[in-house]
Amino acid sequence: MPISERDETHLPKWTKWLDLSDRALAVLLLAPAALLLSLIIVYPVARLIYTSFFSLSLTSGLPAEFIGLENFALMIDDPVFWETLWNTVLITIITVPGALIVGMALALLANLPFATQWPVRLSLLIPWALPLSFAGLIFAWFFHSQYGVVNDVLVRLGFEGIIWFNSPNWAFAAICLTIIWKTSSFMALMILAGLQTIPRSLYEAADVDGAGRIRQFFEITLPLLKPSIVVALIFRTITALQTFDIPFMMTAGGPGTSTATLAMYIHQNTVSFLDLGYGSALAVVMFALSMAVTAVYLRIIRAKD
Amino acid sequence: MTAVTSRSPVSFLSGKPLRLIAAAILLVNGMFPALWILFTSLKTESELTRTPISWFPHEPTFANYMRAFSDQPLHLFLFNSFMVALLSTALTLFVSVLAAYALARLELRFRGLILSVIVAVSTFPLVTLLVPLFEIMRSLGFLNTWVALVLPYTVLSLPICTLMLISFFEAIPRDLENAAMIDGCTRIGALFKVVVPLCAPGVFTAGILAFVNAWDEFLLALSFNSNPSLRTLPVGIQLYQGEFAFPWPVISAALVVGIVPVAILIVIFQERVVSGLTAGGIKG
Repeated sequence: MPISERDETHLPKWTKWLDLSDRALAVLLLAPAALLLSLIIVYPVARLIYTSFFSLSLTSGLPAEFIGLENFALMIDDPVFWETLWNTVLITIITVPGALIVGMALALLANLPFATQWPVRLSLLIPWALPLSFAGLIFAWFFHSQYGVVNDVLVRLGFEGIIWFNSPNWAFAAICLTIIWKTSSFMALMILAGLQTIPRSLYEAADVDGAGRIRQFFEITLPLLKPSIVVALIFRTITALQTFDIPFMMTAGGPGTSTATLAMYIHQNTVSFLDLGYGSALAVVMFALSMAVTAVYLRIIRAKD
Repeated sequence: MTAVTSRSPVSFLSGKPLRLIAAAILLVNGMFPALWILFTSLKTESELTRTPISWFPHEPTFANYMRAFSDQPLHLFLFNSFMVALLSTALTLFVSVLAAYALARLELRFRGLILSVIVAVSTFPLVTLLVPLFEIMRSLGFLNTWVALVLPYTVLSLPICTLMLISFFEAIPRDLENAAMIDGCTRIGALFKVVVPLCAPGVFTAGILAFVNAWDEFLLALSFNSNPSLRTLPVGIQLYQGEFAFPWPVISAALVVGIVPVAILIVIFQERVVSGLTAGGIKG
């Protein structure tokens, strides 16, 4: 007897599992994920917001004391908070478009009809798979003032070598370049996947109409790539707001706190200073920032459906 | 990636020599940093501190690799990274296979809402939960154990793996499962005996992504496992820096040791990784 989908729930009850209705089984199957998310995300978020209203410093030895919004008031008067927040925003607005432009260029190059694909594919995958912290160390060595390959190339080209990590601006530039290098290949992979879905016939039609290559790019390629670009951009924006590994490895925030990010300041306050109340308040700010970006993301995804 | 692809505006480069230039740009951009660290790891200290710097190692030496293992317990860092990545990959796959099956196949009242939650979690900044996670791990006695990292890493990869698996499961015809159930299989039995084997490449791809995510994570590993014998590679590699000395050849050797395992995975499974990454990313 053929069984259609509708009959599924009326199957004979061979075993205990089938005694469960589909809905009960679904709840059971989703339970492990729900349990994990509750333990690692939901409960910690509640606890984070709760702790942000307390003065709780493990070094002071004092018990936690409810202080309302005082941590947030402290933050407003804290120049390091504003500096790290500004650095984080600056890193985001420099490296996200930077990675998009470099990633787009890499994707267009990788989309050429190469006879063998694997070296191209590999050269986009290796930077993606390299741990951020490794990339930070490798590029710290690249930008080494005496023995770094970047200064070596600059000198060979007739420029003067730069002492990258002594000046806030150069250190910041080195960090941004590293982040762009590290993140552009993921961007390229996403854009490449989008490029390969564009039908060739569109370009042929444009050729017949006499549209030039540049016009074809702006009128065919770019509009059709928009969905994959938007998703990649939002992902990148949210991860850029969390920037930690690369500046931590390259400069540890220095000179001074000129290249420190909000994530590094949160880490310093909680892990080094053990000031859990203030660290939580800082984290609430970052949480709000990335939730705002995620909300935009969800809206776009929903609109797509 | 197929050989015949749509034309891009740089297709004036399709002449063979120009295509070689494009390939060179891509290869240098992708490989040079890793190659440079490999060269550095083969140089002697005296060759390294020569100016102008030499590009290729003239007297290649493996001494730095010996020192990388003797100066710090690099084998332990590797072992910890492997175990944490493997355990969290296994847990991620188990949990996301179950969840994805429920979302792909079973009637659910809040399916749309659950999917939105999964997408939201996929962008969640775990760094903000440093304090509460630290306290939870401490009160559960998980600090300085693999578990302290395995649980958050699982959550890190859970959303993308679940979304990927949903799309793979939806591509499997329901008739195959129904046939298995008529033959006396339970639904769970059909999931593990029919659906998962048919989706093996997809499950495997999800596993690679979870593994790489766990292998790369730094901040939580730095914050939760301070015991030297439990450090993972990204955290352990910092220990080579002395207060004033920065033994770059030794650090480079340790970096190469840390890159090789993932590089091997990527080389072997590159096509799957690309398709998995882009499918997961585009879907959200």
